[in-house]
Amino acid sequence: MHPILSDRRRFMVYIIAWIFTGVLIARLLVAADLANWSFALLFSLPVALFGSFLTSSAYFVCRSLPFNRRSFSIATLVFASAAMVSGISWLGLCYGWNKVLVLAAEEVEVLHLSPHLLVLFFITGFAVYLLALLAFDVYIAFDNIREAERREAASRLLARDAELQVLRSQIDPHFLFNSLNSISALTAIDAVAARTMTIALADFFRQTLAIAEKEKISLKEELLLCENFLAVEKIRFGKKLGVEFEVAADAEQAQIPPMILQPLLENAIKHGIRNLPKGGVIKVTIFQRDRWLHIAVQNPVSADPGNSTGNGLGLSNLRQRFFALYGDQARVSWQRTDDNFTLEMALPFEQTYHE
Amino acid sequence: MNKRLQVLIVDDEELARRLSLEYLRAHPDLEVIGECETGLEAVDAIGRLNPDLILLDIQMPQLTGLEVLEMTGRRSGVIFSTAYDQYALKAFDLHAIDYLLKPFSQQRFDEALGKARKLLAQDAAPVTQALESLLTQQSEKLPRLLIRDRGQVHVVPLESIDYVEAQDDYILIHAAGKSYMKTQSLAELETQLESQKGSSKFVRVHRSFLIQISALQALEKTSKDSQVAILKSGAQIPVSRAGYERIKPLLS
Repeated sequence: MHPILSDRRRFMVYIIAWIFTGVLIARLLVAADLANWSFALLFSLPVALFGSFLTSSAYFVCRSLPFNRRSFSIATLVFASAAMVSGISWLGLCYGWNKVLVLAAEEVEVLHLSPHLLVLFFITGFAVYLLALLAFDVYIAFDNIREAERREAASRLLARDAELQVLRSQIDPHFLFNSLNSISALTAIDAVAARTMTIALADFFRQTLAIAEKEKISLKEELLLCENFLAVEKIRFGKKLGVEFEVAADAEQAQIPPMILQPLLENAIKHGIRNLPKGGVIKVTIFQRDRWLHIAVQNPVSADPGNSTGNGLGLSNLRQRFFALYGDQARVSWQRTDDNFTLEMALPFEQTYHE
Repeated sequence: MNKRLQVLIVDDEELARRLSLEYLRAHPDLEVIGECETGLEAVDAIGRLNPDLILLDIQMPQLTGLEVLEMTGRRSGVIFSTAYDQYALKAFDLHAIDYLLKPFSQQRFDEALGKARKLLAQDAAPVTQALESLLTQQSEKLPRLLIRDRGQVHVVPLESIDYVEAQDDYILIHAAGKSYMKTQSLAELETQLESQKGSSKFVRVHRSFLIQISALQALEKTSKDSQVAILKSGAQIPVSRAGYERIKPLLS
C-alpha cells in the first residue's frame, strides 16, 4: 500500500504542500522579474502538481529494492538514474507547458527559459526526487521494524502458550509420590485395590502424555482424563472426596483445549476438600447454550481465613491461556464465599464433524 | 528399656498412616498412642499426650508439620516424612536433619527409627539446635501467627490483624472481626512481629496497644495533646504522646 496515495489525510497534506511549492516557484519567478504573477502561477501550479505525482512514484522504486537484497552500488545507481529520469521529465514538462502557454495566450508576457533556468529546473527535479527516495526508504525501514515487533509479540504469545501447555502436562510430584505411597500401603491391606490404583495412575499419565501435544481435544476425552485422575484421588482421600458430574449430552463433542478441567479438579481438592476434616463434594456442571460452552466447578472450602492456600496464580494462567487461544472470545471468572469456591468459564462452542 | 516408647502418627492421608502402622508392627517395643489427620489435631495431641516419638508429615493442610513444631515447641523425637517439597528438603539437608521420602521401604523406616531411638537415649542437643535454627528460618517466611485459644488452634494471617490489645497477663489479637486470646506480653509479640519479613507493619501507639499501619483510617485530635486512631474496622484506639511520635514519621 502506498503510504500517501492510500491515505486520504496524508494525500491532502501532500497536495497542499506541493501547491505551496508551486506558489513559491511563482514567487521566485516574479522576484527574479521573469514573469508577472498571473502567468507565473499559471505556469508553476500545474508543473508543481505534476511534480507531486512524479515524486510519489519514488515509493515504488524503494519497494522494488528490498533492504535485504540490495547492494550499495546498485541502490546508488538505481536511485541516481531514477532521479535523473525524474529531473528530465520534469524539465521537459516545464519546457512544454511554457510553450503551450505561450502559444495559447500570445498577448501574455512570455517566460523566457534561459539555459540557466533550465539547468535550475533540472537540478530541482533531480534533488527533490532523490530526497523523496530517501524519505520513503526511511519510512519503509521504520515500517519493517514495526512489523517485526508485531510479529515478535505474536510469536511470544504463542511461545508462552506452548510453555503453559508443557507446564500443565508436567507431572505434579506431590500427586505422583503420594499416590505411590498409597499403593505401597495398599499392597499389604488390599492387593486388588493396589492394582486398581496402579492401573488408574498409569492410565492417567498415559493420557496426559497423549493429549498434552494436541491443540484441541473433545470434552469427552477431557472427562475421561478427569475420571482416571479422580479414581486415583478417591483411593487417596477415601470418603472425604465426592464428585458430582452433570454434563449435557450435546456438550460432550465440544472441542476444548486439553487439560482445562483436570487442573481445576486438582485445585478443588488441594485448596478445598483437603482442608476440610469431613471432606466435601465437588460439583461439575457443563452445558451448551447459544454456541457457548459453559463449564462450572464448585467446591466447598474451609471458612477459616488462615486456611486460604494458593495465590490464584493457576487461575490467572488459565485466563492467559484462554486469552492466547480465543482473544476476548472466552471468559473465566471465580468467586469465593465463606465456605464455597465457584469457578465459571465460557468458551466458544466448537465441534468437529469428521470424527 | 523398661517402658515402651510412645509414638504419635501425624499424616493427613489415611493410607499413609496405615503404612506407618504396618511398618511399626515390626517394632514391639513401640506403642502407637494416637493418630492425627491434621496439624491442628497434632498440636493438641502433642500437648496432651507428650509422645516420645512423632512420625510427622510435612505437607499437610492448615498447619504444616513444621508449623506444628513451631506451635508446640517440640524439638526432638521427630521423624519427618514428605512426598515432595523442594524448599523443605533443601532446609533439611542444610541442617542435616533426617527425613523419610514417600514412598519409603521398611528398611529405610527402621533406619530412621534407629537413629531417632539413639538420639532419644543420648543427648539430642545437636538435633534440637539444628531444628531450632531451621524453624527460625522457616517462620521468617511465614507471615502468620499461630494462636492457641481456649483449646482451639487458630492460624491468623498477619495482614488480617487490625490491632492488638494488652490485658492483665495476656493479649487480645483483633483480626478480621474476631478476637483471639494469647498468653504473651505485648512487648514480646512486638519483637516477634518486627522480625517478620512480610509487608505487615505494626506500631506501638500506646502502652497497651499495637496497631497495624495498613488498618489505620485516620488520626483524630481529641484534646490538646491526646490523639485517637480510627481504624478501617471502626475501632478507636487511644494514642499516647510517645505513640504519636512513633507513628507520625510513618504516615508521611
